[in-house]
Amino acid sequence: MTTQPIVQLQNLSKTIGGKQLIQQLNIDLYPGQITGFLGPNGAGKTTTIRMMTGLMNPTEGKVIIDGVSLQDKYEEAISKVGVIVENPEMYKFMTGYKNLLHFARMHKNVTKERIQEVVRQVGLENRIHEKVSTYSLGMRQRLGLAQALLHRPKFLILDEPTNGLDPAGIREFRMYLRKIAEEDGVSVFVSSHLLSEIELMCDRVAVIQNGKLIDIRDINVETSSFYYIEATPNDQAAALLQKLDYNFVAENNGYVLEIKKEDIPNLIAQFVQEGIQLFAVQPHQKTLEDQFLEMTGGGQIAEANAK
Amino acid sequence: MLKLMQNEWMKLWHKKGTWTMVALVVLFIIGPGIMLKYYETKEDKTWQQLEQQSIDNYKEILKDDNLSAEDKNHFEDQIAISEYRLANDVPSQDFAGFMSLTGGMLTLVTLFTVIVAASIVSNEFSTGTIKMLLTRPVSRAKILTSKLLTTFIFGLLLFVVNVGVSALVGLILFGGSTGAELEVVNGQVVEKAVWNDLAYHYLLSGGDFVMSILFAFLVGSVFRSSSLAIGLTIFLSFSGGMVVMFLSKFKIVKYIWLTHSDLTQYEHASSILDGITMPFSLTILAIYAVVFLVISYMSFMKRDVTA
Repeated sequence: MTTQPIVQLQNLSKTIGGKQLIQQLNIDLYPGQITGFLGPNGAGKTTTIRMMTGLMNPTEGKVIIDGVSLQDKYEEAISKVGVIVENPEMYKFMTGYKNLLHFARMHKNVTKERIQEVVRQVGLENRIHEKVSTYSLGMRQRLGLAQALLHRPKFLILDEPTNGLDPAGIREFRMYLRKIAEEDGVSVFVSSHLLSEIELMCDRVAVIQNGKLIDIRDINVETSSFYYIEATPNDQAAALLQKLDYNFVAENNGYVLEIKKEDIPNLIAQFVQEGIQLFAVQPHQKTLEDQFLEMTGGGQIAEANAK
Repeated sequence: MLKLMQNEWMKLWHKKGTWTMVALVVLFIIGPGIMLKYYETKEDKTWQQLEQQSIDNYKEILKDDNLSAEDKNHFEDQIAISEYRLANDVPSQDFAGFMSLTGGMLTLVTLFTVIVAASIVSNEFSTGTIKMLLTRPVSRAKILTSKLLTTFIFGLLLFVVNVGVSALVGLILFGGSTGAELEVVNGQVVEKAVWNDLAYHYLLSGGDFVMSILFAFLVGSVFRSSSLAIGLTIFLSFSGGMVVMFLSKFKIVKYIWLTHSDLTQYEHASSILDGITMPFSLTILAIYAVVFLVISYMSFMKRDVTA
């Protein structure tokens, strides 16, 4: 990536009551990119996000947004950020529109027309003048997205954004994020526990555990390729694969083996020669879930990191 | 700042409780007014007959030998005033009397403003909206200031409603009577400067009003609990006199704000403690006001928001 990062976390650390919750976190986020933020419960996702939005002060390190330090020049830095931290908590006793008006007044240059535009974008035109207490969770999420977009942020931080959206809503939401990332060059940072969701939505994932960054990687780039084959008789196929010296594991009714794409026709020819019936040969992608569990070593709650 | 206050004002008036407070302030003026008027019209005697009746009553009481000198003085003054009224044809001034009565209802104004002061910050924490509020390009100091100013404006509004409705109800029910309030000074019956006294009373009530609000605001923003703030403030305003009595043996009592917050003690030159003067009280109150504010701001600006 040759462009300048819009957000930089530099040695971000947070210690509360002698416990090091976040240790030396370094992450760069780029315009137009959607970065997923993963980690087991208690890994420090929310703490990190709170530090990135100025709700918490880091013990050490900096958050730099568009070249401005959030800790030193809070007002200037935060004006480029749109935030939804956990559930978007709105003023339930007011209408959706009044809520947006309320937040619009806290930014410079958000006009009434802009409010209308955002309301249209999130599809709330019909209910915007009703009290938020009558809204469903999904509608509150939409309103939450609307308030985060009012001031056309360059950087959007979302904590569990699809919580409570219906499948159509999630899909729409995903498309919308993609659109603003691509068209407006907005950098998006999404934390979620829905791995499949992150997989569909993000270009990149950052994984943290016990307050440490353990991996940042691009999604959809496979270093080695895996294929799934299904053949009968089963044991005969296994014997053949062994003979041809492939790495393979049994999965479902067939095998997953490591093989280069150009070798596949050859392999199929071998199977036919041996008289083994071949039912399926398909590319096998490790899901993000597999990768995630591999990286974090299972689903335990992160251990408290007493120092 | 104006926009922030506009926001706070909007949120305040979208709560039903706020309207209830205004309604109660109005009711507590109209109610007594109607009751007074009712008893007045039921009476079929003229004011001269009533004055004569009270003179007879007082004389009857004065026959009692066990009366203390103080009480005796009081009743003799009352008789002197009533006889002066009859001799010079000066009826008592019902309108001004009514205004003095509703001046006592200022406690209600203070109570309601305390409720607003206690909850205007803590409610944002308990509903989680504080996250939405603090991730904006507005410094925390400005947000807290807008809330404090809004509280005071609300208090002033309640005060204006109190005075305004009192005057209106007084004029409608008791207006037109051309009398005067009298008092005995050095054995001479003179006309009381009733409007000046009333204005002075309003002004002195301001001491308790301001201190209660600042204290409630402090507790509300430091402990983020509106019930604690309301409870503690009301408890102190009821038991303040008792606390001062208990501590009166110690010198420190002179330096507690509770000793001074009720400035109306100087109205009748009967202060709660010997040897304190108005300027001294004002100085102590000013120091405490600054301390309360500094603690409120420090805790609000430094806090890590985890709500």
